[in-house]
Amino acid sequence: MANLKSRFNLRDFGANLWEGWNRQTRVTFTLVLIGLVALLPFAASWGPTSFLNTPITSFENVLVYPVGMFVLMALGLNIVVGKSGLLDLGYVAFFAIGAYTQAIMSTTLGWNTWEVLPFGIAFAMVAGVMLGLPALRLRGDYLAIITLGFGEIIRIVALNLKITKGPDGIPGIPNPPAILGLDFSLENPSHYFWLVLGMILLVIWMIRRFTIRRPGRAWEAIRQDEDVASLMGVNTLIYKLWSFVIGGAVGGAAGVLYASKTMVISPDMFKFEVSILILGCVVFGGIGNIWGVVVGASILAYLPERIRFISDARQLVFGAVLILMMNLRPDGLLPRKKREKLTKRGSL
Amino acid sequence: MSEKVLELKQVTIKFGGVTALDSVDFHVNRGEICALIGPNGAGKTTVFNVITGVYPATSGEILFKEKSILGLKKHQVTKTGLARTFQNVRLFGEMTALDNVIVATDVHKRTGLVRALFGTPLNRREERSGSERAHELLKLVGIDHRSDQLAKNLPYGDQRRLEIARALGTEPEVLLLDEPAAGFNPAEKAELADLIKKIRDTGYTILLIEHDMSLIMGISDRVVVLDFGQKIADDLPTIVQNDPRVIEAYLGVPADAS
Amino acid sequence: MNFEVITSQFWSLALQGLALGLIYSLVALGYTMVYGVLRLINFANSEVFMFGTFATLWVEVNLLGNPVATQPLHGFKLVGHLVLALVGSMIACALLAVLVELVAYRRLRARGASRLSSLISAIGVSIFLLEAMRIFTNSRPKTAPRLLEKWTFGEVAGANFRIDTMLVIVAPILIFILLDRFVNLSRFGKAIRAVSLSEENSKLMGININKVVTLTFMIGGLTTGAAAFLYTTVYENTVFNVGFTMGIAAFTAAIMGGIGNIRGAFFGGLALGMVEQFASAILGSQWKAVTVFVILVTVLLFRPNGLFGEAVQQTRT
Repeated sequence: MANLKSRFNLRDFGANLWEGWNRQTRVTFTLVLIGLVALLPFAASWGPTSFLNTPITSFENVLVYPVGMFVLMALGLNIVVGKSGLLDLGYVAFFAIGAYTQAIMSTTLGWNTWEVLPFGIAFAMVAGVMLGLPALRLRGDYLAIITLGFGEIIRIVALNLKITKGPDGIPGIPNPPAILGLDFSLENPSHYFWLVLGMILLVIWMIRRFTIRRPGRAWEAIRQDEDVASLMGVNTLIYKLWSFVIGGAVGGAAGVLYASKTMVISPDMFKFEVSILILGCVVFGGIGNIWGVVVGASILAYLPERIRFISDARQLVFGAVLILMMNLRPDGLLPRKKREKLTKRGSL
Repeated sequence: MSEKVLELKQVTIKFGGVTALDSVDFHVNRGEICALIGPNGAGKTTVFNVITGVYPATSGEILFKEKSILGLKKHQVTKTGLARTFQNVRLFGEMTALDNVIVATDVHKRTGLVRALFGTPLNRREERSGSERAHELLKLVGIDHRSDQLAKNLPYGDQRRLEIARALGTEPEVLLLDEPAAGFNPAEKAELADLIKKIRDTGYTILLIEHDMSLIMGISDRVVVLDFGQKIADDLPTIVQNDPRVIEAYLGVPADAS
Repeated sequence: MNFEVITSQFWSLALQGLALGLIYSLVALGYTMVYGVLRLINFANSEVFMFGTFATLWVEVNLLGNPVATQPLHGFKLVGHLVLALVGSMIACALLAVLVELVAYRRLRARGASRLSSLISAIGVSIFLLEAMRIFTNSRPKTAPRLLEKWTFGEVAGANFRIDTMLVIVAPILIFILLDRFVNLSRFGKAIRAVSLSEENSKLMGININKVVTLTFMIGGLTTGAAAFLYTTVYENTVFNVGFTMGIAAFTAAIMGGIGNIRGAFFGGLALGMVEQFASAILGSQWKAVTVFVILVTVLLFRPNGLFGEAVQQTRT
């Protein structure tokens, strides 16, 4: 009864390659890869790669938003949707909470981005708990609707409260103060990119550590058969809540950074569409698979910026992507690894 | 000398108009292999479900080591010391055999998300011991050579064995086996019988749902018979085998009808 | 918060709530019936509704030749035009609903795909339709011609009995009665009920599941189309994203009545319409959507059976 499909699976190919290397090779490869990615902001001005340049917004800025931000948020949503199998249609709420925390705290209390960041993350996590405790007891479809509602409620609240300054939003959000000699003024989008890249790497590291240990196993068990998981001793509610909270934390962090860069935010930046865009990134790349999500999000975020035609009909394309992916290639571009390692084995 | 490790007292379950279990009352002694038999639809799996917290009981009491476990959540029941297998194999198909068992061993670990994130010494110790224990259990049921294969790719017999290993991974005191021999040929059934006896001899108590009479007669210390949600017999295998009510329940006709 | 309106405008609000609620119940049928046979949320029903409003408009303006600034019609011409618009909307929605089933659900069902996949697929269809209409209408709302002169034929305790309000109350009641008889008495209706109870057994009894599913979507489309016509007649305009809030409200109504329960959808819609109308008057209309969501969450948490219906399953073993 062994699966004899010999279709080429890029993910497994890469994974097998990786497993064949020793520690030194792996470290070198990883560092080189990170180095290359870090050089991306310069790609638009370097001859051979200048075709990457985007017409409306500069390539360096595009790398920060939407590419970097979408990758970061897609990773966060992937923890919820991909690892635990919970459909969250209101992920934008966490993003909004982070952004508004930064906006409000920096303009009224005068705090800088680094000081606000832990608070943005904390508030998003609290929101995750508040949403999760009632919602996670419900079955999948109902959870989806409730999360959708939550996302909308956050937006409507932002639209109507005095402190969030309603539909006009909050202007005048300061850029983050410089660290490590990198200043975050608007002339240096590449610095923002490296910051986002750092966060992405941190999140990936975090996810990897969870995956090969008890949390990852618990999430995977829940995703595959929740009832049996709980009968095998997994406290499903707590683990589902954790995935919500961690996913929310990532979204909140992204929101804080986003507000610091764009310097003005308003409720219409946090519509339901954004949740769908991020979901599209996760689905397109391969639900549950980190590399799939990174690649998928990068492509889906980048292409509309490069190709005007797609940009105008961005949502249309996303809708079509969701339909097509589910019907034709439900595993995404880079399917979840067939034999995901859930425990540490070998040298790394 | 015999400790009542698991006890059902007048357990009744009603779903709407249907009474699935009607004042079911029996106990299992420590170290026993107790068989739960009855025609299809008698309520045997329902008993397992109410014990493990899947269904709430409408009335009655369930005691584990003299303490009530009624109303406990599923994972709490498992943590207390009861584990089960399923009538239709329900493994985590896309996990390896080893990981299936390791998930089960996680229930008693103290590592949570924080320790996992930072890879504390405790976490590393628990990971190692969990993995070792999983291998032990896979060896016990005879499938350690398949530890790295995906559960869904295992041959049927090995899947059933894996379910048992997984249940044992939770370090239960009482093991609930739901038709573990379904689909086995006589040779496999004999092997399974030996395995169950071996497990019991290691110190576990076993409550077993089965249809195969010879298997049951061969290994059970006691047999409880259900029919239409009611207990109709509770005794030694040889006595139950000849109980006219039991015969009638299975065949639908009184034993002496000609 | 304006509590005074509860007393001063009670009957007016109640009447409006009744009308609004009945529109909700019709759309709720699209959700509840599909859930009954498929156990899946018909996510794109909101866009079917939106499509119906535009279809109504199109029939009235393009097919029947009534420019937006037309004078109201009378007599047979009025009735004829209204009926044609209603039928046009119902047919358009029914067709779209069946198309939705084919694109979003059919293939995935055949494959035995997970519910997550089906839901995402339906969301994709919903987004696609929404965006297509947005691009088509350039994000601009469209106004409907006033064919029906909205004369008030009476006032009781502050409640205005306008002709269109009466239409919105009478029509859904008729539709529900018809549907109820269909589901309980006809062969197809029995088939639908059979599949709702057990797909496995229905297959064993020789029922063609695909046909039943298509029929269910079609009926949901018909009722949603009727709701779209009524909505357009009352509010006289529509916009590409009108389906979003309607969908959430109708779904909440379906849940309140017990998802899968047709009669429940009727009462769920009524209840929701009433509550929303009063809440809107007390809290201000900007909190309407929030009110609906709060009701949804509360019902799902505390009375998941709804007022009449089946339990929202939380475990399955």
